[in-house]
Amino acid sequence: MLYRRLYQFFIIYLLGLAILFTIKYTLRLSEYVIPAPATVLLTVAEVYARYSKDVFDTFSVAIIGQLISIGLAIFISIFGRHASWVGSFVKVAAYNVQAYPIVALAPIIFILLGDGFLSRLLIAAMICYFPLLLSMLGIMSEPITEVEHFYAATGRLRWQLEVKIRAFENLHKLATVIAGSATLAMAGTIVAEFIAANAGIGYSIRIALYQSDLSKILIALFFIGITLSCYQGFLEWLGQQAGKLWAGNA
Amino acid sequence: MSFKHPRNLISSAILLFSFFAGLVFPMPASATDVKITYRLKWLFNVSAAGDLYADADGIFEAHGLYVTVKAGGPERDAIKELELGYADFGVASADQVIRALSKKSPVVVIAQLFQTNPLQWVYRDTLSNIQKLQDLKKHTIGITYGGNDETIMRALLSAGGMDERDVTYFSVRYDYTPFYKGRVDLWPVYRNAQGIIIANKLKAAGETVRFFDPAKHGVQFVANSVVTSQRMIEKDPALVLRFLCALLKGWHLAMAPDNQENAIGIIQKFDTDTPLPTLIRQLASTRLLVHPAGTSIGEIDVNAWRQTEAIMLAQHLIPKPVEIEKSLELGIQQNAHQIVSKNILEKTNVYIEKESP
Repeated sequence: MLYRRLYQFFIIYLLGLAILFTIKYTLRLSEYVIPAPATVLLTVAEVYARYSKDVFDTFSVAIIGQLISIGLAIFISIFGRHASWVGSFVKVAAYNVQAYPIVALAPIIFILLGDGFLSRLLIAAMICYFPLLLSMLGIMSEPITEVEHFYAATGRLRWQLEVKIRAFENLHKLATVIAGSATLAMAGTIVAEFIAANAGIGYSIRIALYQSDLSKILIALFFIGITLSCYQGFLEWLGQQAGKLWAGNA
Repeated sequence: MSFKHPRNLISSAILLFSFFAGLVFPMPASATDVKITYRLKWLFNVSAAGDLYADADGIFEAHGLYVTVKAGGPERDAIKELELGYADFGVASADQVIRALSKKSPVVVIAQLFQTNPLQWVYRDTLSNIQKLQDLKKHTIGITYGGNDETIMRALLSAGGMDERDVTYFSVRYDYTPFYKGRVDLWPVYRNAQGIIIANKLKAAGETVRFFDPAKHGVQFVANSVVTSQRMIEKDPALVLRFLCALLKGWHLAMAPDNQENAIGIIQKFDTDTPLPTLIRQLASTRLLVHPAGTSIGEIDVNAWRQTEAIMLAQHLIPKPVEIEKSLELGIQQNAHQIVSKNILEKTNVYIEKESP
């Protein structure tokens, strides 16, 4: 799983680079517009250590944001699974929050919370939480009739059992949703750093943009991509293991 | 391009002749009308007063140019657009030009819009007046990491025999709360735009402000300039001259105090959010930065460019010198200035020079 994620990322990244370099040499663009491969390699040596640290910083905030989002989404989806009003309210809230550009909301968040860790965390969680919640609500509110019917008929269907059945039957979907939300959490953190933080890879990208340095941006994208691929591969593997373990115990 | 070289003198004469020939013997519209894209550095506001004036007042059209003026922004880079063919002319800051040249981008400067860099630091007058560089010591100073203000502040500290240990840097963002709350002593602003807005807000709260101008302390870092591609200069120098004449005429009319009402009316069409009294103050401030005493609008200050390059070199923002003089098209700028001056300028110049401190 992890191996597949990695080589898929390498294919996409190298394909992107190849397209860029083709454009550069076909249109004879200067280093200022698109850097040459040698420049990119030189820049790797220059920023490798700093960007690794920055990505780790961003990644750690993203994981915490994602964990908070998962916890909250599980909580709301369990308690809102029968109440159609809660479900529709959450959907309206989710669609609204998703519609607001985070760059418009971010200054308000930064005024309230400053430009440190908490703001980054909140923005990461905001971007990652609502899509996660919508998917979880969908999964938890959908009855597995053929299984639940038996327990309901014998009067043994308690809420914990209902949640377990629905989670077990949709384990693959849940794993995919959680792995997907990692991308959103990472994107949210990077956006937050880009707008207002003083650390992380988003902050470094912003400085590179100020300096019109595309080679630094390409390297930052590589570090973000490789970290995310590893993490998603890990989450998928974790989902598989959980499924096997659960199936073994059942 | 310099007049010291005879070839430049001849080409300038040809350019002048072709321009006046065009005025005396106008060609059919189809032969002279040209579509042009002009990418600004920032959003439509008072800092683009002349560009907007030339567009909205029909000056470009009168010169046979159909110009699409596009707003800039943090994610826009006029120099890259020139190279990619998305724009024919653009506005870029000096550091962008020098960085581009250091990466072999074929960009040339045809005019310098701001004679004094509007990027300055605002501070409350309760802070002791900063009269010499050493007065910056122990203050908390806002800078945008990676931005021009960081480069300028480092140059200032270095010129004053200090370094970053003598001050406290504060990373600046979009919101001014840290300055309003007094957490930061000096905050970087564009004096003619945000500077006026901040001053107004603090005035409403019973406070007054001063501005710290790096140029007054010997650090000249060039700001917005008009750029085009080397290809354009070689292919159609007459078009470059025509465009620059129209643009400079727009700037002259936008900066003329006796034409303020028209200028404000035009800026208001583009910048609808800024209240009229603020806009009037912004325009007055812009006038002093674009046309200070003893300068001409659009004049390329070669020494300031050299200093900008030297600062960037000293701070390792470029790996080696770019010989900036070679990319400053002084001939075209001076020709355009002469042509525009003959039309409208003598009266305005006198007026502005009297008004300037």
